[in-house]
Amino acid sequence: MRLLQTLQTAPMLTSHRVKLAVLFVAANIGLMLHLLNGDIKPLSAWDWLDIAGEGGSALLLLVWIWLLLKSRPAGYVTNLLFLGLGCLFFSLFMDVVDEFVALPDEITWDGWLESGPMPAGFVLLTLGIFHWHKEQLAINEQMRNRERLFREHRQFDKLTPLGDAHYLRKQLELALGEAEQARLPVSVVMVDMDGFAKVNRDYGHQEGDRLLQVLTQQILLNLRQHDLLCRLAGDRFALILPHTGASQAQLLADELQQSIQHLAYKSSRQGERLYLSATAVAAMAREEDAETLLYRLNIAMAKAKQTLEVRHG
Amino acid sequence: MDEPRSWLECDTRFIPAHYQPVSLIDLALERGVNAHRLLQGTGLFYEDILTGDKLISPQQFHALIANARQQLQADDTSFLIGHQWLPGHCGAASHALRHATNLLEALQRLIRLQPLLSPLMAPRLRLDERHVWLSWSDSFGSGSQAVFLIEASMTAVSSVSQWLSGQRLPWAFHLAHARPRYIEQYWVHFGEQLRFDCPLNQMCLPREYLLTPWVEASATAGQVAEQEGWDRVTMLAAPRSLLDGLHDYLVKEIRTPLRLEQVAEAFAMSPATLKRKLKKHGSHFQEQLDRARSAVALELYLSRGYTTEEVADYLNFTDRANFRRSLRRWTGLLPSELSTWLGSQR
Repeated sequence: MRLLQTLQTAPMLTSHRVKLAVLFVAANIGLMLHLLNGDIKPLSAWDWLDIAGEGGSALLLLVWIWLLLKSRPAGYVTNLLFLGLGCLFFSLFMDVVDEFVALPDEITWDGWLESGPMPAGFVLLTLGIFHWHKEQLAINEQMRNRERLFREHRQFDKLTPLGDAHYLRKQLELALGEAEQARLPVSVVMVDMDGFAKVNRDYGHQEGDRLLQVLTQQILLNLRQHDLLCRLAGDRFALILPHTGASQAQLLADELQQSIQHLAYKSSRQGERLYLSATAVAAMAREEDAETLLYRLNIAMAKAKQTLEVRHG
Repeated sequence: MDEPRSWLECDTRFIPAHYQPVSLIDLALERGVNAHRLLQGTGLFYEDILTGDKLISPQQFHALIANARQQLQADDTSFLIGHQWLPGHCGAASHALRHATNLLEALQRLIRLQPLLSPLMAPRLRLDERHVWLSWSDSFGSGSQAVFLIEASMTAVSSVSQWLSGQRLPWAFHLAHARPRYIEQYWVHFGEQLRFDCPLNQMCLPREYLLTPWVEASATAGQVAEQEGWDRVTMLAAPRSLLDGLHDYLVKEIRTPLRLEQVAEAFAMSPATLKRKLKKHGSHFQEQLDRARSAVALELYLSRGYTTEEVADYLNFTDRANFRRSLRRWTGLLPSELSTWLGSQR
């Protein structure tokens, strides 16, 4: 069953089928019009440089359109971008056709087919990019607490909508540098679930994965505007708190612990309540690099876990 | 010498596909990997696995791991499946482990039923006055999958012992590979007692945890299951892997002069055959001999507190310089470095 699901995963492209069909038909109509009204040029009259330049550009535009449609969900911005690129492609395609087909002099519409869509395409594309920019700002707002200053998709965590340990290290180096320049403190909090292995054993991996996703949201809800949450590994999260001293960081760590304890999480199959608890430790950066700071927190976490009464193993 | 006539080799099909391999397959599919790509080049089909009687060879398992790693591109795969490997879903063998009454019994059962419970990596148990040592050896020459397998196997043992004992056991981990880029996975899954670039892959625990009774076990059910598991082991094409058998033989005979010809004779095969079989596993006789000597030397240093002179004598080295060079070759360390290493480890 799972196999079938994997095989049937629908690519983004299918939702854009109509758009591609329209572009295909339009390009064909243009081609037909030329062939009906004109004659094919002799080989000696072909201008290879023009053919390569215009044809190559048209092909590249097709690649752009393909990548765009493959990666973006349908919607207003996608439509604008597609229309813009589509017009540009059409215009270039007509240019290429013109290289092979000679039209009688009395026909003037071919100039329109070649040059008309070009400016329209640029206007549409500009509009599209402008709205894309607006859309990106909206997404950035949604990414608050999960991303700072730069995006690196190779450092997205595979399970939660957070950055992974590599992203964390990079951001921590940045934050440490900033803090040193501005002479402001920076702190890091590490959060680790108690008895997470038992959840995986008793309820299965999928439940564990789901719990981690829920926890991510729960932790995010407790953060301030500029805090950054990353997933370190397994059930361990790390939080960068810029402009934050030791006592404030400790306060936030305690708050997170309480917040997780009060989360009334239900298992997905039976709706059974799972009683959760987490250990959170905080440390303010001294004059040290990211690796040392993380290691120090890790030791603090190990100590905190040792003193913890063993309820879950 | 009375060595068995047949051995498990890297192309012997003896691992039920629905035991350890399936946890890896399930994880990959759950994470959206294409089943086709996952099984590509392994000679496996998903439908075969569902039948529940498909046996695969270590080579196929290695290929499956390579594919899964390639497709998942995640640092935590080995640890995640390690958590599932023990006690696992291996019928009676898993049941026997589940009902062990203490850590010692669990580890002994793990070793006795190893071809079922941990088919690719063989654990060996050693007790000294203060510690339990569990060292791991690569049973079929897994090549570039060795680190993955070590991570998964060690996770499996630490995870199952934590689960059954109901407490966090302070295992220390000695790893032969260099400190990886994804060290945070080790912090979370292994804890903070980590050493890299070690001569051997082994885990270590203070002895006092060995006999602490595990309350939820049923001693009788465990014994019955162990017998049943053992019957399964004896029904396999052979009870052990060639590399493991060879290693134990070399360790036992380490004080006698060891040559390929004699060893081949003890294993009832021609020297050429032994050579060819070792090559098939990506190894050669000298490497196996070095590994055995290194294991013996470390045991003498670690557990019996021998000095360098005593170790050299035990291994019949008359020439000190020669011993230094050899030790360097086996373990990557000079005697002085080794004693620093040992000193900092206590």
